[in-house]
Amino acid sequence: MGPWGFVFLAYGIVWTVILLYLLNLKRRIRRAEVELVRLRSAEDLERDAKA
Amino acid sequence: MEPGKQRKGYLGGLALIAILTGLYWGLVQAPPDAYQGEVQRIMYLHIPSILTAYLSFFLVFVGSCLYLWKREKRDDNLAYAAAEIGVLFTALTIAEGSIWGKPTWGVWWTWDARLTLTAVLLLIFVGYLMLRSLLEEENRAATSGAVLGIIGFLDIPLIHMSVYWWRTLHQPPSILRPDKAPWENIHPAMLIALTINFVAFMLLYFYLLSLRFRLGELHDEIKTRRMSGGR
Amino acid sequence: MKLLRHTALLLWKDVRLEMRRRESLLTMFFFGTLLLFVFHFSFDLAPDRMVETTPALLWLAFLFTGTLGLAQLFEAERGNHCLDALLLSPMDRGALFLAKTGFNVVLMTLVEIVVIPLFWILFNLRSWDLIPLLFLIVFLGTVGFCVLGTILSAVTLKARARELLLPLVLFPLMIPVILATIRLMENVLRFGVIGDAAPWLRLLIGFDVIFITVGVLIFDRVIDV
Repeated sequence: MGPWGFVFLAYGIVWTVILLYLLNLKRRIRRAEVELVRLRSAEDLERDAKA
Repeated sequence: MEPGKQRKGYLGGLALIAILTGLYWGLVQAPPDAYQGEVQRIMYLHIPSILTAYLSFFLVFVGSCLYLWKREKRDDNLAYAAAEIGVLFTALTIAEGSIWGKPTWGVWWTWDARLTLTAVLLLIFVGYLMLRSLLEEENRAATSGAVLGIIGFLDIPLIHMSVYWWRTLHQPPSILRPDKAPWENIHPAMLIALTINFVAFMLLYFYLLSLRFRLGELHDEIKTRRMSGGR
Repeated sequence: MKLLRHTALLLWKDVRLEMRRRESLLTMFFFGTLLLFVFHFSFDLAPDRMVETTPALLWLAFLFTGTLGLAQLFEAERGNHCLDALLLSPMDRGALFLAKTGFNVVLMTLVEIVVIPLFWILFNLRSWDLIPLLFLIVFLGTVGFCVLGTILSAVTLKARARELLLPLVLFPLMIPVILATIRLMENVLRFGVIGDAAPWLRLLIGFDVIFITVGVLIFDRVIDV
């Protein structure tokens, strides 16, 4: 593998991994937000039922 | 969109611009090294990565101290977020160092001080994450994490010293170290490339940290709501 | 002063309990000895290479034996809410930390007193006169191990997979101690004195002092929850 091969290997790995992590983070945040909306609406329903 | 999200968006956009600029400077504008040739360009990844990893560790320490002192969930959140992202950058640093090492030294791994230290840093970070995930009760996990974060950080200089002494006393200093750039003779374009990449990594780091921090806040709110009534 | 008196009290309690059942001590003895035999079979130990290999093998044995001790460190307090009772008493938590650390040091030291001469016998070493100096070095290393080990043992008390987690978290942090003691022991075995390995000794003592202090200050928080 020539010198540029190593350079692209390093750069490729770094930015791919960072991108994947970013996507993973965003997915986890989205899932948490969905769950939170669900919990909040369930709580509202309970409160309205009690009132 | 809420202001928090908007600010994060700006930060992310800024980071992206910096990263692309850094890529251009690192791969195109900066000249190849006189001794190592093109391979030396990995330095523009490697030095910012390791600095980011150390910054992360410092933030874990700060978050841990604050948490043990004030018991505010926010500080624990910071520590946990910094640890997770710290693992990411430390692992990347090792990968970069290894890839840089192959054409330079001829081997994928060597137990030289820098690589060894980075590997140890990774082990400590990973230990932190494992500890937190294996403790079930919330407060205990936070406290235990904080204790480990503080001890780990205090140990780092000692580990640093011991590994360096071990390696320099027992190995001839003839090994060319990829990150021993002679600062006096560095080409200005290289310095610019390094600075831009450093800024890019910092922006990226804080962008990722803010996202991970937000995730922690969401998890906390979910837990409180679950406990106080919701199913 | 009060801290020391409480420490002594708690330490004496643990020692008395141990003397009665001798569970920890015997398992550690046996394990340490067993490891020596395993080493003999696994490694080709040429007599001229014993200077390099002796410290490393001894430390491997002590690390694993010590980990056994750490895992059982808070066993006595587990039943009958003993730990809660201890924590409710108006005693400085630092005393509990010092006592538990001291207890593990005692256990490990007893094991080392047996294992080191045993090593010399089994591997036909001649340098018996160096043992006291070597023992001092090992002792300092043991203290470092027990100090961090006690903190982490308390920290991982309620964790799942505790037996795996404790070494995983502890060993990387032990690197300064391991490097320092092995380098010091090598120097002693080679030259008979500590000599120019003295910086390692300072590092080792520094490590012990720093983390004993941290332990005393922080144990309060560790065992709180």
